[in-house]
Amino acid sequence: MHSAAPAAAATAALIVPVGNAVAATRATAAVPKKKVVVVTKTITGPEGSADRWGNIRVTLVVKKTTTTLGSKKTVKRRITNVRVPEYPNHTDRSVYINQQALPLLVEETLQLQFDMSKFQLVSGATDSSNAFASSLQSALLSAKKA
Amino acid sequence: MPDVGTSGIRRVEFVMGMPVVVDVRDELVEESDVDAVFDWLHFVDETFSTHKADSEINRLNRGELSLAAAQRDVRAVLHRCDELRSETNGFFDARFDGSTFDPSGLVKGWSVDRAAAILDGRGLRNYAVNAGGDIRLRGGALPDSRWRVGIQHPAVRDGVAAIIEGDNLAVATSGEYARGQHVLDPHTGTAPTGVLSVTITGPDLATADAYATAAFAMGAERGPHWTARLRGYEAMTILVDERVLSTPGFPRAEALPAACRA
Repeated sequence: MHSAAPAAAATAALIVPVGNAVAATRATAAVPKKKVVVVTKTITGPEGSADRWGNIRVTLVVKKTTTTLGSKKTVKRRITNVRVPEYPNHTDRSVYINQQALPLLVEETLQLQFDMSKFQLVSGATDSSNAFASSLQSALLSAKKA
Repeated sequence: MPDVGTSGIRRVEFVMGMPVVVDVRDELVEESDVDAVFDWLHFVDETFSTHKADSEINRLNRGELSLAAAQRDVRAVLHRCDELRSETNGFFDARFDGSTFDPSGLVKGWSVDRAAAILDGRGLRNYAVNAGGDIRLRGGALPDSRWRVGIQHPAVRDGVAAIIEGDNLAVATSGEYARGQHVLDPHTGTAPTGVLSVTITGPDLATADAYATAAFAMGAERGPHWTARLRGYEAMTILVDERVLSTPGFPRAEALPAACRA
């Protein structure tokens, strides 16, 4: 395990100068200065009345990215989370409306790759493939060492 | 299995056709506590297996045993299967041809819930039981104060699509990536389209597992909206285009990287 560490460090060291070179090229091309400001705000809406069905309150987490390039300013806003801390649920009918009308699902794009050392367990469909056998084997080995 | 703790007992056995990991982190845990869990799971296997000729389930299906004469646990499981069938509008269905029972889809989660109760009854408060990817956990992975569960990436072998965190939770995932397409829409007999996997979290593993199976069988149009209406259970659905739909309370450990545009 330890022999792998210097190799990884060497790779990282190679990447850094390349990054600097790109930055240097940009600087000499006299491109207008680019400034990016990212602000994340949590916005809780006022309590809204849904008539006799009760009250609704919605909380949004908004990520605001302001890019200034010379005199040109662009603002992008993205909703990164939606919560409904308060909603009508005192009758079956209002629960139904709540289910139909409110944004109860948060959408994102799968793009994460996690470090295997960050968790203790894996949840997934039962697998009878080779991966399953090898995972069992490694679990057994870990169990012996534990 | 990284992050092996120094205290506690961890054991893996092949039972009910899958590897079951029992990982207890309490210092006071004894081998007999873990024995009790595996004794229970082997008993469940003998009673409910559809692969063992003499199991009560097979004797029921052959008409050699009446439901009234079956063990109380068998009756309880079959009753819960019927409840879940109606709760899921028939998308979780343990009956074939209306008469033959295969309650395997419920038995796994149900037996793990009972295994957790065995550990609870022995005063243990920090444990995880993982039966072929369906998990019941409590307390923390000591010395960590909580358990962290990776959700298998449906398209990348050995990849993880999300991490969830909890100190008292059941986690079940249903997907097409493991045994081929083993979940069918019971109404049409065809495989659902558009969904790669559904993960459900909540207090009870048997229920979470049945909900995950049902939501997967419902497909991309209906499944996520159905999960949004579940009480006490949270869901994460991964679609074939790698979009992810989660209920707001899904217990993710990491912040969302991207989301719908404002």
